[in-house]
Amino acid sequence: MSVEIVRERWKGKVYEMMLGREPHTVRVGGDTSLPFMHFEGKTARPVTALEVQDVEPSDWPEVLRAPFAEVLGDPVAWACRCVEVGADLVALRLAGAHPESGDAGAEAVAATARAVAGAVSVPLIVLGCGVEEKDARILPVVAEALEGQNCLLGQATMDNYKAVVAGCLAYGHSVVATSPLDINLAKQLNILITEMNLPPERIAMDPSIGPLGYGIEYAYSIIERKRLGALTGDRMLAQPVICLVGEESWKIKEAQAEDVPEWGDQTRRAVLWEAMTAVTLALAGGSIFVFRHPESLTRFNRKIDALMGQQVY
Amino acid sequence: MRFLPDNLEIEVGEAETILEVASRAGITLRGACGGDGTCGRCLVVLREGAVRDRGGDIVAEPGAVVRACHSFPVGDPVIEVPETSRLREHQVLAEEEEAGILQAGAETTTGPADPLLRRVRVSLAPPEPGETPDDWGRLQAELARVTGMAVRADVDVLRELPAALREKNWAVTVDLGLDEAGSGAGIVMVQAGHARVPVYGVAVDLGTTTVVVELVDLEKGRTVGALGTYNRQAAYGDDVISRIIYAGERSGGRRQLQEAVVDTVNTLIDDLRRRHRIDREAIRLAVCAGNPTMSHLFLGVDPAFIRLEPYAPAANFWPPCRAGELGLVIHPRAPVHVLPGVASYLGGDVTGGVTASGCGAGGEIVLYVDVGTNGEMVLGDGDWLVGCSCSAGPAFEGSGISCGMRATDGAIEWLGVTPGGFEVICRTIGGERPVGICGSGLIAALAGLVRAGVVDRAGRFAAELETPRLRRTESETEFVLAWARETGHGKDVVLTGADIQNLLRAKAAVYAGIRSMLAAVGLEQDQIVRILIAGGFGRFLPLRDAVAIGMLPDVPLERYAYVGNASLRGARAALLSGRRLAGIGETARKITYLELGDETRFMDEFMSAMFIPHTDLDLFPSVQGEWAQ
Repeated sequence: MSVEIVRERWKGKVYEMMLGREPHTVRVGGDTSLPFMHFEGKTARPVTALEVQDVEPSDWPEVLRAPFAEVLGDPVAWACRCVEVGADLVALRLAGAHPESGDAGAEAVAATARAVAGAVSVPLIVLGCGVEEKDARILPVVAEALEGQNCLLGQATMDNYKAVVAGCLAYGHSVVATSPLDINLAKQLNILITEMNLPPERIAMDPSIGPLGYGIEYAYSIIERKRLGALTGDRMLAQPVICLVGEESWKIKEAQAEDVPEWGDQTRRAVLWEAMTAVTLALAGGSIFVFRHPESLTRFNRKIDALMGQQVY
Repeated sequence: MRFLPDNLEIEVGEAETILEVASRAGITLRGACGGDGTCGRCLVVLREGAVRDRGGDIVAEPGAVVRACHSFPVGDPVIEVPETSRLREHQVLAEEEEAGILQAGAETTTGPADPLLRRVRVSLAPPEPGETPDDWGRLQAELARVTGMAVRADVDVLRELPAALREKNWAVTVDLGLDEAGSGAGIVMVQAGHARVPVYGVAVDLGTTTVVVELVDLEKGRTVGALGTYNRQAAYGDDVISRIIYAGERSGGRRQLQEAVVDTVNTLIDDLRRRHRIDREAIRLAVCAGNPTMSHLFLGVDPAFIRLEPYAPAANFWPPCRAGELGLVIHPRAPVHVLPGVASYLGGDVTGGVTASGCGAGGEIVLYVDVGTNGEMVLGDGDWLVGCSCSAGPAFEGSGISCGMRATDGAIEWLGVTPGGFEVICRTIGGERPVGICGSGLIAALAGLVRAGVVDRAGRFAAELETPRLRRTESETEFVLAWARETGHGKDVVLTGADIQNLLRAKAAVYAGIRSMLAAVGLEQDQIVRILIAGGFGRFLPLRDAVAIGMLPDVPLERYAYVGNASLRGARAALLSGRRLAGIGETARKITYLELGDETRFMDEFMSAMFIPHTDLDLFPSVQGEWAQ
């Protein structure tokens, strides 16, 4: 006796975003079903990025510094290493612009961004320093420096989106729209951004995720609701979701603690934490995953290979 | 102790806070938190002497700023109450304007057909020698013959009876308070002779934030005057919940709240009586409409269980009582009716308003929305009615907004803003210089500021604007609606960022309530044929702006009618007609109450509505084009 597979019919889909330049473009999103429900529609494979910082990071534990030991002070070499180890994209974090750690000016960080873009062929994600007013000043300049590169720039928030989006509009980039774990605030920001005439497929939503053990349930539920919104035809929730898993996972004590033998080997522990966070949020519907440790990325891809494979009933 | 700058001396009671003493002295302080000591609105300045806080610490430095609700006088201190800590316009305000979109019809021109207080003029035959009749028996028989009803009298009526009957040769005027069903009546007053002086009644709207009293000539069915003011209970909390807590947790709290609202009503009655030269005893009937909490507190009934699951009020239908028992300064035997409610958060203000507005009478689907401190809604076609209630906050009544005020003279009731926020054009009630802004003005202001690009759709000021009207103070950003040189009190009239967030919450609660109720009965907003909006916004409601900000459903505007203070009209209708009072009871029985707190839907709807007009733009097709740049 044959079993009838019940299929959900969705009327909406996730917007498909195109990043980078031909022939090295990367497509993000475009899903037409819940994640990995291949019998119901298309699941776009989640894409991965590795994080590079414009200045040598001071708060990274030794086990995270190790894979990039000799390139940490050189963003260009670091970015090239990321591509070698298999990242689909490079995510450049402009930490040096932070008022409390260098306070680099717009021209300086823009020069770094231009150098990194010139050295790698994969598309670039460029994230500011995380201070909203400062990002509003530097990101438009970075956008200009990267004209024609079709990058993903962020993070635009409710308080600084006007400046960031203006830069994206003028120089042909897409934008990361960040909101604090709230579906309505995410939607509001999307509405405000699209009303500046940025096409809706040029926005990626950053829900401000929490890692495993630190509120991942909230992130999971928000991402899932966004996907359901997209599939049921809500155009202001149909943007692909970007998850900054590296940044969040490596903040926590389980990743940072060095001398806790009963917790097991630190590298293995932290990498598993980062990969596990990413896989979980991929199951919820995340589309772009920004890692810090290359091994987490490899583990994540291995799991995604399995999830993307043939499904047997 | 003494209060400055009023220079009022008052005796201090045992364990009384300064807030309580001030209240007795007639100084109403602000107190959003209900005396919890958390809101910091009732701050006063110690000028002389000392006070003690709840922890027992003594404060004795002159100039110290203390919380009135948490400080007790030590000895006889002198306390200055700054203007900012006072409930503004606590004094009686100007005459209420008749909102007058739906007039109460024929009742205003001809005398009422079935009055709740009936005046009968009779002439008895004086007793003959040899007869052994009693005065009351003779009057009772005559009244039964004239009215067809069994008439009751209390002993205190009988005390006055022998003299009254004999004074004008057995001709008397009897005022009868009718039972709701019209089957019997009780004597309120017997006067000698065939009185030609009018008999009056008062219709009272007991709002959480504002109280309005309308004085009506009961024989002519004519309104003599109406006045409104802020409810003095505001000293004990902004909303019904904080007042219920205050009533339950403070010893004597319930009595304080009862006295505060009765005082408020008495102040208004007193002023109306003085303006129209009417004796206290000439007012012989009162009908009050209030939400359930206000009704409980007005009658001195414990409201505690309104707040606790399963939210049971002490009563939905209240028996009439006498004015003297409540402390109302009208004829002490005047019957006081409180309109019946439906459930803990849907009361006689709504059942009265719904009935007086004719909601559901035409068989079409009507939505009735009363926007007060609580937003109450009733939906139905007359065969069925459902109702619900949600907390909207007092913003639209002009409270909880830095320059908010009731809709009276000098209130900005409409305004327009030029692009970029350089110029503001205001229209005020009475055409006077502005002194504040009322509900209708706030709706117009929010829509106008968003259109002008001064406020974005999430309710934030566009900081980059160059207009001098947008300025940063120490604590926040504000927009100047009227400069000090243009206003009636020489101070700027402004709208702050916090005000805008308050407005956004208020409008979101109203819309979320409407959406939740529609969802509960499976109707779409298009299916509503008429929408009646009640509330104290002002003389009119800028409907297009109310839809544009996403407060009211986006349906053709001709389906809307603004009915003003319908709750007061409900009370007045009952005052003039026993049949109308019975009709309000029928409405109350018919309404099925929906408890919005039982499901997550309301909260989801509320969050989606915290944007202008809404995060689901498809719900607002007609305004979508306007907001998209």
